[in-house]
Order: sequence, then structure tokens, then C-alpha cells
Amino acid sequence: MPCAPPGSLLPNTLFSLVPTLPQPTSSRTLNAAQRRANRDPAWARWLLTGVALVFLAFFLVLPLLSVFVQAFAKGGAFFLSAVTEPDAMASIRLTLLTVAIAVPSNVVFGVAAAWAITKFRFPGKSLLTTLIDLPFAVSPVISGLIYVLVFGAQGWFGPWLIEHNIRIIFAVPGIILATTFVTFPFVARELIPLMQAQGTDEEYSAVTLGASGWQTFWRVTLPNIRWGLLYGVILCNARAMGEFGAVSVVSGHIRGETNTMPLHVEILYNEYNIVGAFAVASLLAILAIATLVLKSVVEWRQTGNA
Amino acid sequence: MSIEAHGIRKKFGSYTALDGVDLNVPQGKLVALLGPSGSGKTTLLRIIAGLEFPDAGSGRVLFHGEDVTDLPAGKRKVGFVFQHYALFKHMSVFENVAFGLRVRNRAARPSDASIAERVHRLLELVQLDNLAGRYPSQLSGGERQRVALARALAVEPRVLLLDEPFGALDARVRKDLRRWLRRFHDEIQLTTIFVTHDQEEALEIADEVVIMNKAHVEQVGTPQQVYDRPASPFVYQFLGNVNVLKVPALEGAGRRGLGPEGPDPEGQIYVRPHDIELTAHDAGSSGISAIVRHIHAAGPQARLLVEQVHSREHVEVEISRSELTNLGLRVNDLVRLRLRQAHSFDEDYAI
Repeated sequence: MPCAPPGSLLPNTLFSLVPTLPQPTSSRTLNAAQRRANRDPAWARWLLTGVALVFLAFFLVLPLLSVFVQAFAKGGAFFLSAVTEPDAMASIRLTLLTVAIAVPSNVVFGVAAAWAITKFRFPGKSLLTTLIDLPFAVSPVISGLIYVLVFGAQGWFGPWLIEHNIRIIFAVPGIILATTFVTFPFVARELIPLMQAQGTDEEYSAVTLGASGWQTFWRVTLPNIRWGLLYGVILCNARAMGEFGAVSVVSGHIRGETNTMPLHVEILYNEYNIVGAFAVASLLAILAIATLVLKSVVEWRQTGNA
Repeated sequence: MSIEAHGIRKKFGSYTALDGVDLNVPQGKLVALLGPSGSGKTTLLRIIAGLEFPDAGSGRVLFHGEDVTDLPAGKRKVGFVFQHYALFKHMSVFENVAFGLRVRNRAARPSDASIAERVHRLLELVQLDNLAGRYPSQLSGGERQRVALARALAVEPRVLLLDEPFGALDARVRKDLRRWLRRFHDEIQLTTIFVTHDQEEALEIADEVVIMNKAHVEQVGTPQQVYDRPASPFVYQFLGNVNVLKVPALEGAGRRGLGPEGPDPEGQIYVRPHDIELTAHDAGSSGISAIVRHIHAAGPQARLLVEQVHSREHVEVEISRSELTNLGLRVNDLVRLRLRQAHSFDEDYAI
């Protein structure tokens, strides 16, 4: 209730006539009553928190710790040599190259798709919305196989590609294509609900003020979606670095040439080079943790700016 | 700058939003597009702005005689204020108002100093110069509304278009702001169209009211014209309260002012509550006999619900408080009704 406007005498005089309500005798009884009314009993809170923490410890913290423990099992020198060994370095370079191409492409695709879906009316819009989710819906192995079927030696474009001496499958282009496909939905999925909620009025406003489409995008749309976009980029990046299934199908596992970091980890592990495998895995884990931290920061900024 | 629209048609899928609408707004007038939701008024406004386009080959939009139908919104030089203002959330009030000037191409763009000067002049005009550094989220609804207005005016529009300008404000701010808008319009003299579903708003501030219903224009006129001489039953019912009475019920009303032929005996008569005279039910009095069923006397006028003795139809009557006291009426008293002014649309017959 807002207080009475200044100058109005009525409420004051009224209040002086109304007998004061009995006040609670002590604040402690009031607090106890509140606690009973809107909180669960203590044992339930402890039990639920405890279950959650134990689960977290067993399924997340312990495995993560074991990655680092294993990685350094033979000391720092061995760790260093494992990650600086030429094949490991090649896998790191390939992963970074893949990410450097897949993520920016998906930013462009994702923004374009989200823009089209949320700002325009066109036939086939709901089909496009469904298709964007396709890479999430199908197993990554199938995503990889699709590319083998299209670009492989026995695939649709196989003979033509061989004729022109272009290698896609079992080569770097295939890895980049598969990674891009698998990580396609992240940016678009993040932006569509955000842009839908924001509507088109600000864009229309900019247009009536004489802004071109390009100016409207850079000056109005992009600033409005920047945190959502960054969030999508971070998730896309995390998945692109860690993608295993689709890449495994198209890579051919050529050491030092078509092995990304996750594939290199698998190879080392299969060769019983446990410490080497975990050393490379720990790099991926560090990248993942850094991504999570960055994600939290972005989330925090996002709610701060909402 | 006058605005004309001829034969505008617009369909969204199978839904007809506008079905051959004509509009003529003379230079410098403040015109209200009034109608219930779904009547097509906002679509018409957006077509005038260039945010929507009429269906192919259906109609033309002219600004001062110049055909702008195929011109995109940015080239029409219109100031458009959205219902929820659509301020740029990430820009300060100053930057919002400056936007239209900053996006101009290099040749037409004023210098930073002259942009600043112009923005401050506009913010002064809408009485917000002290808030230039604030962000939209830090402003009240009324303040946002005025920022949106200043932003629209920054590009020196030829016409000003406002979509439900007071729709998102609470009742008190609304009243203040609409009077302010009227004074503001008198000051800047810019041809202005605003959309509203609130008849009180339209009748109070507009020079001319365009009443729309179901994709058509029902009537155009000054507020007094449309209120006193509604062109259709819809307009009658949309603008204020009205009693719809069956003609046979008027038997014994004295048929005051009725011509010899009278209206269609099966037809209906439209009477505003304040156009009905109440008299005591004396031996010598004439008029429709009715019984007072309810008296609502809180407010400037007393509103009575009376029931006609013969037809049992209910009629709402509005009389002054002093008249009510003079008549000394109470619930269940007998009274007589006389119609001062009534309307029949059967054959465009006015009583």
C-alpha cells in the first residue's frame, strides 16, 4: 500500500482512533512460526542437500580429480612430454583449427537463422525451426555417416571429388564439416527465444527513423542479443572442442593428421598409455572448466543487464 | 502535410484486416482512428507508416498528393511512436533521440555538436532535458512515452503517427498526458494520426474522429458530429451508453416529434440515457410508464434503471442529482419516460 498523499489528514486521524494491534511478545516466536509456515523441516533440507552433494562428488568431482591425478601420475616432466609430443601437438592444432572455423560459421548461420525465424513471416518457417534441432536429435555417429555417404569414395559426390583430387572424408574438411553440423543448433537455439521475446518493434522503430537493414542489425539487434549470443558461442565452442562421435566416423584416425584431441585421447588409451591419455584429456578438461567459468560470468552479466 | 489513403485492402492469410478503406487527413489536424480491437486501425496506421504494405494493386497512400505507396518506411519521413514505445534499451535517452540523426549517410549527417543541440532542444520540448543520461529502464511510463515522441520528432517527420499512445499507462497519467499531447500538437502543428480504442480519449483531444469496425470505416467527423449524429448502430453503441428500444414499446410515449408515418413498427430506436426525461406518474402526465428498479447516485450524475410497465424492457436513464432530489424518486416508484432525442436506422429516420 502506498502511503497517504501529503496534505491528506484523514489517514493519520483515522489511525489514531484505531486501537493498536496486539504485537507479538517476542520476535523469536514470530520467526519460529514463519519457519514452520514456509520452510521444510531441517532433516529434509540436510538430506536433500546431502544427496545432491554426494552424487556430485561421486559422479563429477571424483572423475574430474582422477583425470588430473592420472595426468600427473608420472610427474610433471612426463605430463609435459606427453602433451608436447608431435602427435599430441598436431591434435591440439587440429582441434583449435576446427573450432576456429566451426564456431564462427555457426555464429553466422545461427544469427541468420534466428533472425529469419523471429523477424519475418515466410512459408516453411516451422520446418526450418524443426530442422535446426536435427543435429541434436540424431546420434553424432549418424551425423558423421551422413557425410561419409555424401562425400565418401562410394558417396554421391565421391567419384567427382576423386577426379578433382579433393579429399573431404578422412581429411580435415570432413572433420570441420561434421563438427559444424553437430554444433549448429547451439547459437540459433540460444537466440530464437531471446529474439522472439524482444519482438520486432525496436527494429521497426529504427527503420522508421531511417536506419538501413545493416545499421538496424549492428546498432539495435546485435546489442540486444549480445549476451545471449556470447552464451551460445561458449556452449558451441565447448561442444566443438569435445565432439567425438561424428568426428570419429569421418576422421580415419590418421595420427598427426586427422586426430582431434578427443580422438587422440582414445588412441593413447587403447594403447594402454593411460598417463598420456589423461594428460591430453586434462587439457580438454581445463578448456571445459574455463568455458564453464566464462559461461557463469556471462550468465551473471546477463541477469545484471536484463 | 495532408495524408490520403484510397481503397486500402489488406489480408493476413484468410483474415481481412482492411477491406477497401479510405482516409483523408487534412494538413495540421489531430485525427483519431477509433475502433475496437481487430477493427484494422493499427494495420491502417502501419500501412500509412510503410511498416506494412497494402495488398497488391489495392490502394494508394498519398502524402500531400505525392504517392508514397511503394516507398519504404525509412524514406517516408514519418514519426512513428509504438504502443510500448520500443525505445532502444541499451541506449541512453540522449542516444535514443539522436539515433535518427546518427544513422544518416555522411553527407546528410549533422555534426556532433549540432546533433547534441538538436537533441537537447527536443528533450526540452518534451520536458525531459534533465533525464538525457538515463536509460529507458530508469524512466516511468509517461517519460518513456515522451522520449519516444522526441525520438520520432528528431528526424523532422512530415507526419506523426501514434499507436495507442496512452494504452500502456495508468489512468491518471493517461489523462494528464493526453491533454499535454493536445497542447503539444497545437504548438508543433504537425499532421498527427493516433490509434485508440478509448472513445473518451478520441472524443476529448481529436479534431476529427475516424471510427472503424470490422475492416471498414464506419464514420468520419468531428467528435461532436459523431457523438450527436452517429451514422450506424455500431457507432451509437461504441460511443457512450445507449438504450436500444423496440419501437412497439414506444406505444403510449406520446410519440412526441414522431412524424405521421413513424418508424418501422418492427424496428429499433436508439436513445442515450441522458436524452430521456423523467416525470412523475400523475393523472395528466404522458409518456411511457415505467417502474424504477435501481438508483445509482454516486457520481456527478444519477443513473437509474427503470423497467417499462408494458414491455418489461429495461432502460437506463441519466439525470442530474438535483433533478433526482426534486422528483423524490425511490426504488419501485412509478414514473413516465419521454424521449428528448432518439435515432432510428431503419430508414435513416431520426425522431
